[in-house]
Amino acid sequence: MKKVIGKTLSAALALAMTVSIAACGSGNQSESSSSTSAASSSAATTSSVASGDPVKLTLWHIQTTEPMTSNIKADIDRFTKDNPKYSVDVEAMQNDAYKTKLKIALSSNTAPDIFFSWTGGPMNEYVDADKIVDLTPFMEKDNYKDRFMDAGINQATYKDKIWGVPVENTSVAMFFYNKDLFAKYNLQVPKTIKELEAVCDTLKKNGIIPFSLANKTQWTGSMYYMYLANRIGGADAFKNAAARTGSFEDESFKQAGTILQEWVKKDYFNKGFNGLDEDSGQSRTLLYTEKAAMTLMGSWFLSTAAGENKDFMSKVGSFPFPAVEGGKGEPDAVVGTVGDNFYHIAKTCKDPEGAFKAIQYMIDDTAIQKRIEAGRVPPVKGVKVSDPLLQNVLDAVQKAPSVQLWYDQYLSPELSDLHKSTTQALFGLSKTPEQVDKEMEAKAKELAEKN
Amino acid sequence: MQATRSLSEYRKKSTFIATTVFLLPVFFFILIFIIYPIIDSFWLSLHEWNGITSGKTFLGLENWKTLMGDKIFFKAFLNNMIIVVLSIAIQLPIAMAIAFLLDTGGKKLNFLKMIYFLPMLMSSVAIGFLFKYTYDPQFGLISAVDTMLGGEGMIDVLGDPRRAIFGVIAVVCWQFVPFYMVYFLAALSSLPVEIYEASIIDGASYGQYFWKVALPSMKGTIKSAAILSLVGSLKYFDLIYVMTQGGPDGATELMATYMYKNAFTIGKMGYGAAVASGMFIIITVISLVTLRVINGKEEA
Repeated sequence: MKKVIGKTLSAALALAMTVSIAACGSGNQSESSSSTSAASSSAATTSSVASGDPVKLTLWHIQTTEPMTSNIKADIDRFTKDNPKYSVDVEAMQNDAYKTKLKIALSSNTAPDIFFSWTGGPMNEYVDADKIVDLTPFMEKDNYKDRFMDAGINQATYKDKIWGVPVENTSVAMFFYNKDLFAKYNLQVPKTIKELEAVCDTLKKNGIIPFSLANKTQWTGSMYYMYLANRIGGADAFKNAAARTGSFEDESFKQAGTILQEWVKKDYFNKGFNGLDEDSGQSRTLLYTEKAAMTLMGSWFLSTAAGENKDFMSKVGSFPFPAVEGGKGEPDAVVGTVGDNFYHIAKTCKDPEGAFKAIQYMIDDTAIQKRIEAGRVPPVKGVKVSDPLLQNVLDAVQKAPSVQLWYDQYLSPELSDLHKSTTQALFGLSKTPEQVDKEMEAKAKELAEKN
Repeated sequence: MQATRSLSEYRKKSTFIATTVFLLPVFFFILIFIIYPIIDSFWLSLHEWNGITSGKTFLGLENWKTLMGDKIFFKAFLNNMIIVVLSIAIQLPIAMAIAFLLDTGGKKLNFLKMIYFLPMLMSSVAIGFLFKYTYDPQFGLISAVDTMLGGEGMIDVLGDPRRAIFGVIAVVCWQFVPFYMVYFLAALSSLPVEIYEASIIDGASYGQYFWKVALPSMKGTIKSAAILSLVGSLKYFDLIYVMTQGGPDGATELMATYMYKNAFTIGKMGYGAAVASGMFIIITVISLVTLRVINGKEEA
């Protein structure tokens, strides 16, 4: 009998535990639902926000390397000091993890109020899904948008509205080279592809790798391809292909692929590039150790290399991607992004006006000055830099008749992934240019038909 | 008579109730964290969803049809099978050899036990980074050793589509041999000492003891190790993703990396879910069949 009592007792206890667990769950639920209802009610009555109640904002970015991390923190601190009713929770994350985290946050409506994103494909997706705030009225107020380089505003424009604020950097891809090595072998900065190839041949003869490349990352190799296609077919070849008024089987893509493969066959690139990782610096090591002479990279190269190897910077020179003889493209056109880190405001934000003010502090005069000191070119008009290498970047952008956004950001995620993997295959000589173009065209057609 | 029977029945009943009540919380957790996600991902696989919009479009079996004809998925599956076969063929014998050595070596080899176990203590991501540099054709260890031996160096492992998968498998083996070593070591040391002493008295050598006595009595352990290795290899992800991201040109693409790419990189959540569900079915079927085959032999 005793045992039975014991058993029932323990059973009751267990039952109580389960119930309490369940209760816990439901308790949480009611709490969270009450908080969301509070959120919606406060969103409905923005007047209470305006009256000076404390507002808490969240901000996500990916500037994890110093001094950028503390710069952004300082910008935001200035904002909260001038606007004491706001407090901002700033969180910095690693690039790759960020992409996934942001996506999940947006889909579950738990996105931060202010967040950085790329323009192009991803931004358009957020707009179509009604996840970010239309910033046109804010940008047009007092002609604030005129502060920015036109190409930057163009890049943040979709469906005739402005959705993001260009903030971080003007990043265009150009060649960075070792001046010492060029002097040693009596080489001139090449103006055309023929001259570039001659430079490469001389370097090769002397046991120096012409181009350092880490192409596990895929977008690195894509830079060579984009420039070649741009120089051969002009900016419109790609734009038309992407907009489906043209074709990825256009002659210019085929020629670009063919030249690339010639370069690979001539061993212009370091060995094993398809297995090396750009993010962990496996291509830059080749430059630092003077095993390689040149690299085609976004201009963030300057701040990255300065952070990694200050001594090396005295040897670095830069030149724009050379012209292709007989190509339709303008030799001054650049591939890159004017803005590189565009800040958006999530639709779930309770106080977009305040959030926009916070963003403005990240690109006000003080912030700009600090960005220049950190080796960046802020995407604003009339920016003045003293460093000749930064001046080169700025010149390239200002001279450029067109700025081609990186293909992998311009295209929809699916097509962009195909572009990256097929370019890697081109470099690996496992697919011919014709095959690659055919695959791209087929996928683009398929996606266009779906929509 | 009747009284006792009803009492035993009563007891049975109360035991049943008690067990049910005790198991209920666990059942809830399994339901929420295992059963529900599986069903939900099957459900998701019938939709088109980019992971951002609030609405999902119902597609029916469209994703599954695509999956059936997807060459990349098929190639990924083949890569998984290569890993399964090589993992079992390489990891288990090496682990067994080390385990036997350590077991017969006695206490003086205890420090080796520690050293051999080290790879297991590192995170896969760290191992991935470590070997990314080891395999570097210019500065890596492999190339350096080759130059020392008089070769040209510049050995490209991860960038060469033909070699990449084997380069990665070598690292996977390096990582998991210690696990099976410990597994076998435990089995070896749980063999009765009497058997060992008896075979020594009967004049058996170490080799004979191993092949004729220890190995046969460890059949069960080896089987479960093989199953573990099989399932692990079929759903392998982290190390390969860190080292190659499935590249170059899909040479090291696995079902799991392909799933991740579709769901989170490209943003085809529905198709990613279809790949995941396909994986779930394939792994379940292969595991069940293998279990059947292995256990069937035992009964015969």
